[in-house]
Amino acid sequence: MSLLRPFSKLPELNMANVLLVGNDDTFQHVLADAIVKQENNVNVNVRLARTLPLPAENEDSRPRIDLVVLIVNLRSELSLSSTETSLKHLDTGFFLGKVCFLVTGARCTSVPHERLASLRKIAVSLHCPLLFTEDQTAKGISAAAGRVLNILRVSAGLVPLATGLGLSTLIRCSLPPDLDCQD
Amino acid sequence: MACSPPPATPRSGRAPGGGKSYAGRSRRSLGVELTNIGITPGQLTGLRAPTSRGFPKSRNITEHVDPEQIALLVKNEWKLSYVTPLYQFRHVQLKSYSKQLSAFIVSEKQQGIAVEIGLETNFKVVFSVVLGLAETEDDAETVFIQIHSKPPFAGDGDVPKIIWSGWLTCVGGNPDYLRSLPSGFVCLPLFCASGSESLTSLVKLWFERTFDCSFGTLNLNSTYLQWLASMWTGCHHVSSIRYLKLVWNLPAQPPLDISYTVHPQDAWDLWNSVREQDSTGDTIGINEVERFMKGLESHFFRHFRIYLSAGMLTKVSTAFGSAHCDGKIKVCTLLQPGIFNIS
Repeated sequence: MSLLRPFSKLPELNMANVLLVGNDDTFQHVLADAIVKQENNVNVNVRLARTLPLPAENEDSRPRIDLVVLIVNLRSELSLSSTETSLKHLDTGFFLGKVCFLVTGARCTSVPHERLASLRKIAVSLHCPLLFTEDQTAKGISAAAGRVLNILRVSAGLVPLATGLGLSTLIRCSLPPDLDCQD
Repeated sequence: MACSPPPATPRSGRAPGGGKSYAGRSRRSLGVELTNIGITPGQLTGLRAPTSRGFPKSRNITEHVDPEQIALLVKNEWKLSYVTPLYQFRHVQLKSYSKQLSAFIVSEKQQGIAVEIGLETNFKVVFSVVLGLAETEDDAETVFIQIHSKPPFAGDGDVPKIIWSGWLTCVGGNPDYLRSLPSGFVCLPLFCASGSESLTSLVKLWFERTFDCSFGTLNLNSTYLQWLASMWTGCHHVSSIRYLKLVWNLPAQPPLDISYTVHPQDAWDLWNSVREQDSTGDTIGINEVERFMKGLESHFFRHFRIYLSAGMLTKVSTAFGSAHCDGKIKVCTLLQPGIFNIS
């Protein structure tokens, strides 16, 4: 099992690399375009993957990944289960402020509540932020791109005096008291 | 596409949890122990999905309920809504409600019309009680509503046609919740309607104004549909389900609807193979339901290389009835009162 490591490579000047992991190809591409278009000051490099682990043969040419965004489409069970398997291929160093979840389809009424509840519990246990986004509208996608970029700038070390770990302690997902936690 | 799964044990990534009803949580085990830091358990009904359900009792409903009334309930496809408790609703005043509702419908239809030309205004509303559907003494009796109308140019001998019917029911409601209601409230949380959309909204409006309640759409998410598919299959030995038909919608271009029909005996064999050994036979756990669905999905994957879990389960049907994720149900036989336990 090849782990993806956050600190095994040197960072490049004025460069931020984000890895989008998710099953939903169309949303991934649209989001990637939006992220690249929104950022003007820094070279943003968006890489896409359906699942982790990443193929070993590109290991050398791959830049250092500053942020892993796991996209979960709540409309499909497969999206959630493949995210769970992907998580196992991330080095623990990533969970110090270099991973976030992006949830789509949470407003769809025919989605079972348990999916969101279990995703929340995963995010809480891994101390990661959970971002909700609308994938059907252009406005929602540009908002999502903006939020991902904000986190990316910090986790890539481009914001003075801010660190990914510091930001993540502020915005990480916490369980609301009304979420039923009794086993 | 029709195929039938072999009675093989489906793949399951979960270790048997020692019979502990972890259900929704442990299936998301990541090898990471979930830490409950500073969490106080609270009340949010929406997130507290049941992890096990009692097996539907096959009580003979024809002994309790008038067969004519059963015939009214089973022939239509019903659109479901939820209703908040009704204030000051009395089962003894149904006659006056009939008059009020028909007057209300007529007045709403006449709004903005100066001269009445051939407008169907002779509505007749009949409220009736369906006795015997309630399972416990906390459940309020079911109320059935029919709207008859005579076409404008009908002769005297013509019988008025039923143009709309609907019912409000409560079967096996949560006793804690029902007892916690203040006095003066009657809880009939499920509203089923069949007929034109405009009449449905008029009836809803009248109820909202008269009994200070609120209606909302009730969708059946895929977990509910999976429960239904499993519980119906589990009843196969009592009464034949004849077929188990599941419809998935996959987000492809163009959208793909997959209809998956399973032979009842194969479904029953699969269901038996996923039942837990220590289960007593009258309750079903959510993990049994999940394994049943996983078994069906992995069989489909072996044949067609399509992950059904990538899409959404939109419809389940057997000989007992059908349920659609938009909140439409059809009851074909009333052997299974379990399907009403949605509240």
